Formats: sequence, C-alpha cells, structure tokens
Amino acid sequence: MTIASALMLWAFSEGLWIDLAKVPVLVGTCICVIVVLYTTYHRKSRLEYHIREIQGLKAIEEAIGRATEMARPLLFTPGWGGDIQRPTTIASMNILGHVAETTARYDCPLIYPTHDPVIMSVAQEVIKESYARAGYSDRVRPDNITYVSSSQFGYAAAVDGLISRLEPASVFLLGTFEAESLILAETGNSVGAIQIAGTDSTIQLAFFIVACDYTLIGEELFAASGYLSDDQTIKASVRAQDMLKIAIAALLIVAVVWVTVDPLSTWWRFE
Amino acid sequence: MRRRLPQIICGLFGLVLLVLYFSSHATAKTLNLLILVEYYQIIFAFTLLVGVVSFVRVNLQSIERGQDRPYRVISLLGLAAMPVTAALWGIGGGSPFMWLFGNVQVPLQSTVFALLAFFVASASYRGFRAHSVPAAVLLVSAVLILLSRSDLGGFVSTYITPVAEWVRNNPSMSARRAILIGIGLGSLTTSLRVILGIERTWLGGESR
Amino acid sequence: MKIAARHYCFIGLAVVVVIAMLIDYRPELEVSDESRRMFEYLDSLPEGSLLLISFDHEASAMPEIRPLALALLRHAFARRHRLIGIALMAEGTGIGYGLMNQMAKEYNCEYGSDYVYLGFKPQYIAAILSMGESLPQTFPDDYTGRAWADLSMLAGVRNYGDLAGVISIADGSMVMHWVEYGKGRYGVPVSAFVAAAMVTTFDPYLASGQLTAMVGGLRGAAEYEQLIGRPGAGARAMLAQTSMHIYVVALIVIGNVVYFVGRRKGRGR
Repeated sequence: MTIASALMLWAFSEGLWIDLAKVPVLVGTCICVIVVLYTTYHRKSRLEYHIREIQGLKAIEEAIGRATEMARPLLFTPGWGGDIQRPTTIASMNILGHVAETTARYDCPLIYPTHDPVIMSVAQEVIKESYARAGYSDRVRPDNITYVSSSQFGYAAAVDGLISRLEPASVFLLGTFEAESLILAETGNSVGAIQIAGTDSTIQLAFFIVACDYTLIGEELFAASGYLSDDQTIKASVRAQDMLKIAIAALLIVAVVWVTVDPLSTWWRFE
Repeated sequence: MRRRLPQIICGLFGLVLLVLYFSSHATAKTLNLLILVEYYQIIFAFTLLVGVVSFVRVNLQSIERGQDRPYRVISLLGLAAMPVTAALWGIGGGSPFMWLFGNVQVPLQSTVFALLAFFVASASYRGFRAHSVPAAVLLVSAVLILLSRSDLGGFVSTYITPVAEWVRNNPSMSARRAILIGIGLGSLTTSLRVILGIERTWLGGESR
Repeated sequence: MKIAARHYCFIGLAVVVVIAMLIDYRPELEVSDESRRMFEYLDSLPEGSLLLISFDHEASAMPEIRPLALALLRHAFARRHRLIGIALMAEGTGIGYGLMNQMAKEYNCEYGSDYVYLGFKPQYIAAILSMGESLPQTFPDDYTGRAWADLSMLAGVRNYGDLAGVISIADGSMVMHWVEYGKGRYGVPVSAFVAAAMVTTFDPYLASGQLTAMVGGLRGAAEYEQLIGRPGAGARAMLAQTSMHIYVVALIVIGNVVYFVGRRKGRGR
C-alpha cells in the first residue's frame, strides 16, 4: 500500500470529518464567530461604543471607598459552581483585576477565598499584577488569597466564618454560585456589608436580588470587562452580542409567526 | 514569553476542541479522548496538590501567628484524617474512612445546607416587601409557588396550583430563557476574547 | 448578643419544622404531570433497558436526594432495567454505591448482570464528553476494582449509543451539563431527579424536549412514591415542607404589615 492510498484510507474510511447532524450548530457557530470577529477587528466598526450605566459596577468604587473609610477588609469570592474554564469565572477575574487595582491604591485588605486551586493560582496572579499596575506591589498579601475547600458546604462554611470573624465592609459575590449563594449573602447582610453580586446561575439570581444591594444579571457580568476597562475592542465584542441578540429575536418572531400559520412546520427546530 | 506561551496554548486548545466538536472521524474521537481523559485528569491531580500545599501553608502560618488557631487546627486535622484512614484501612464499607464520611462529613454538610432554610425565612421576611409594583409581583409569585409545592388539599390544587404552574411556565420561563440566551452569547464572546488573546486578565495582564 | 428580628425567624422555623417532623402523616397527593411523565417514560422502556444513573450530588443534599434516588431505583429495578451507576461528584460516590446495593438486595438483583457501579470521575464536563466517545476507556474498571471485561452486563457497551438513556440525580446544575454535552453532542436522552431549588432552572430544557423528563424536590419524590405504590421518606417529609412554606408565607405577610405600619407612622410624623 502506498503512502497516498494509506492517507486516503485514513481520511475517508473512519467516519465523517464533519458530523452531518451538527451542521445546523456549525452554521450557527460560524455566524456568531464571524459577527464577533467582524465587530472586533473591522476598522469602521471600531467607533466609540458606549455601554449603558450598570448600577452594580458603578457601585464598586463606593464599596471599596466604604471599606477604606471603615478600616475593614473587602471580601471577593467567585462562588462554588464554576472552574477556570467557565466564561463566568473569567468575567469574575476581570472585575477582580479592577477591584484589586483600586484596593491597592487605598491600601484596603482584599480577602479572596475560593474552592478551586486553579482559580486560586490565577487570582493570585491577577491580584499581584493589579497591585503592580497601581504601583503598590509591596501591599500584596498572598495569604489572603486562599483555597478553602472543594466541598460545597465546606466552602460555604469557611467563607461564612471569614465573613463573621472579619466583618468585611463590602462583599463581592461574582461568579458561578449554587445553593451556597443565599447562605453567603445573608451572612454578609448580617454583618452590615454592602453586597455586590452577579452570576449566570438563573436560580441564584433570585436569592441575590432579595439579599444583596446590587446584582449583575447574567450577561452584565460579561460586559463588565469592557465597562470597567473602557477597552474599545472588548466593547466592540459586547456590541456583537447585541447584534446577535437582535438576530435571535428576529428569528424567534419569524418562527412564531410561521408556526402559527403552518403548525406542521419544523424547519425552525434546525434538526 | 511568560504570557505568550500560555496564551498560545489556550488559543490552540480552544480552537482544537471547537473543531473536534463538529467531527465524527475516528481520529477526532481519539484526540478528544486523549485531551479529555488523559490530560484533564493529570492537570486536575496536579491542581489538587497545589491546593493542598497552599491550604497547609496558610493554616500553619496562621497558627504560628496565633490567628484563628482553633479553626486552623481543626481544618488541618480534618485534612489529615481522611487520607490517613483511607491509606491505613481502605475505603470499603465499614472502614473508618466511610465511618468518618457517614458520621462526620455528611451531618456537617447537611447542617450547613440546612442553614439555607433559615436564611430563606429571614430573607423572605426582609426582602419581600411590596414597596413597588414589581416588588409586589415578585411577592405574589413567591407566595403562589410556595403554596403550590405544599400539601394543602382541595383549594390549593384546584385554584392555586394551576395559577402557579402558569406563572412558572410562562412569565418565569420567558424571562429565564431570555437571560439564558444573553448568558450564552456573553459566554461565547468572552470565550472568543480569551481564545483570540483580547482578554488577558486571567493571565494577570490587562486586556489588550 | 442582641436578639434581632431574624433570630426570631430562625427560632420559629426550628419549632415549626421539628413539631411537623414528629408527626407521622403521609398525605395522598395530586400527582403532577412532570412526575407522571417520568413514570411513564421509565415504564415505556422495554424490560432490560440499559440506563446510566449518575449520582451528581453532594452529601449535604441527602435528606432531599435520598427519597428521590430510592423512588427511582425502586421503579427501575422493579421494571428489571439494567443499571450502570456512576458519580460525577466525589461525595455522591459512596452514597450512590450504598443506595444501589440496598435497592438491588430488595429486588434480588445481581451485581455484574443486573447492575454495576463504575464509581467517580473528576472533571465532570470532560467525563461526560469522554463517555460519549468510549465508556470502557473512561471507566476501565468498576468501583470495586473489577475490570470492565469481567462484567457480563457491559459486554458490547461502547458509548451512549448503547444506552436507553441517562438519568441524573442532582442537587445542582449538573443536569445542564448533561443536556449541553450528553444530549447536545451525543444525542443520548437525558432525564433528571433534582432538588426542588433547581426545578425552575431546568424548566426551559424540559419544555424544549432537551430533557426527557424531570422529577423535582420532596414533593416530586412523594408523588413518585405514590405512583410506584411505595410511600416513603418523601411522603413522610411533606408535612414538614408544607409547614415551612406556610411559615414563610406568614413571615412575608408579617414583614409587609410591619413595613406598611412603619411607613404610615413615618408619614404621620
């Protein structure tokens, strides 16, 4: 057998290179990626974008200022539900970077407990760099960025204990939360902390809205990076999100009208 | 280079996994298994080690400083007890490890989880105030759902349950779907920003 | 320590729940469509269908998860389905193994031919994806250390394609990962028995058909127990749950009364 025929055999006899059942998803993904790349890199679309005022992000300065005035620490935790692969955790890291830069300037202790060793390592790096950017590398306290437990309620108990003992003036609950959300938020409330929360866990949003002062709902968390950094490239990708949202809304309207007129139609399922 | 290399690795693996998702070729499956089963598990094992080392170090330093000493000692004892009993007597039924798990870990976890019920009560008392129309809608919805998940016989199942089901399946579901679509798109753009190297905060750097 | 309003809320709740738990009352419930849908789904599968039961919960959720898991296992073993148990969360591993053994004994089922328990795999997303490629490579041996090849029930099982479905018993968002990766990528039917707090999270997936069926919370467990004719811990806990719900509704009413009275007094001044 020649090398060429062996290659041909390998390429065409061991299943399809593109799974036909996934073609609709592939097309959808390509459209999304193209829109994001276009708005991010196209020169004309790199105009000045403005992200509407997000109360929760506006309150960050106030929360840090309050902690500084009261000479009490600030606690930031990304929740138990996510790992570093989750976009929500990345979004949470972006806000952490901004918060750390400000706490460095004010010399306000920043406590960061987490349930995941990788998140801990990344958070240490983010905080260290943010302090360096602010020009206060000497103020970093690595021991305040700790791994507490991978177990959900071990983590909840540890963070609760920290909140009860340290009585932080401000608590940031930004990331992926599960059942521990209300336990943390209510404990933070009981020590009189200002609380800024944000998550992509829809069920926990209800708890945060009831128990916290400010809540970032789902995608507001992802827009935070552009909002806080004022980076036009990131803002452009946020604009892509809006464009895709409009496209999805239009598709939904068309599908609803279509299925009303022709109840037997199934094209809109993309199966 | 300290940042460039992890960024290249991240971008490369992100793209490879994205491409592999759409393929049913045997080579794609093999690659998938290699990345998902072998590499992920190895990385996971090492990160656990990083966590344990950091945990021990921080707790020992705190004990040295006399800060939260009782809590730190209990944490370290707990950390040592489980692997030691597992190594000495195994983890089968009736082993000390399982005894500790069933009689210490499970009740402790359940106790902390049960706190949620108490916090739901206090948050409901404090949070569900009809100070505006949206707040009143939230309050009424909460009451409807609570009653529908209770066993109150005829009246509830005849009148309240259908209304609560309607709330769950229509306004609540619509809002949830809208939030989920937004989250999906947010995740997509954030992931692309990371893969393309626009977003570099996770490396400790600023966004580009 | 100053006693605050919240402390009275806590004390009241403890009293209400403890009293309710002391009363042995098992009500006759009106079964919801969701619970019935799950029951009919499992009933409709041919005898001996291969099901993957994933224990995706922590130890903390035991009071709510155990009745759900027992109801499911009783039904599945009674229908003579063949079950593969796994856990995607470390703490669910021992619990799942214990529950499966307990129920298998009750229904005279044999390990290795009627059910197997493969144990825990970390990194849940990676695990779900890799099982879609190859179950034997993801779990070369079972929880007790026996090799895959030595388990007669698993002969010829390669991946999700050989299963009738996956059922996740979860206290968190793991069901979402099963839907996204198991169902979305490999097309395996996914069903779920979940803690009550997660029900509304998964409602959209159930409505869209991405989730085949779902039973939620203690109420769901009680309904399922009723459907299989074995009232148990779910039914037993209904009075406590109902009492707590009524107590919370009462707190909401009191909170609003206090709020409006306070506001009126403020205006009066």
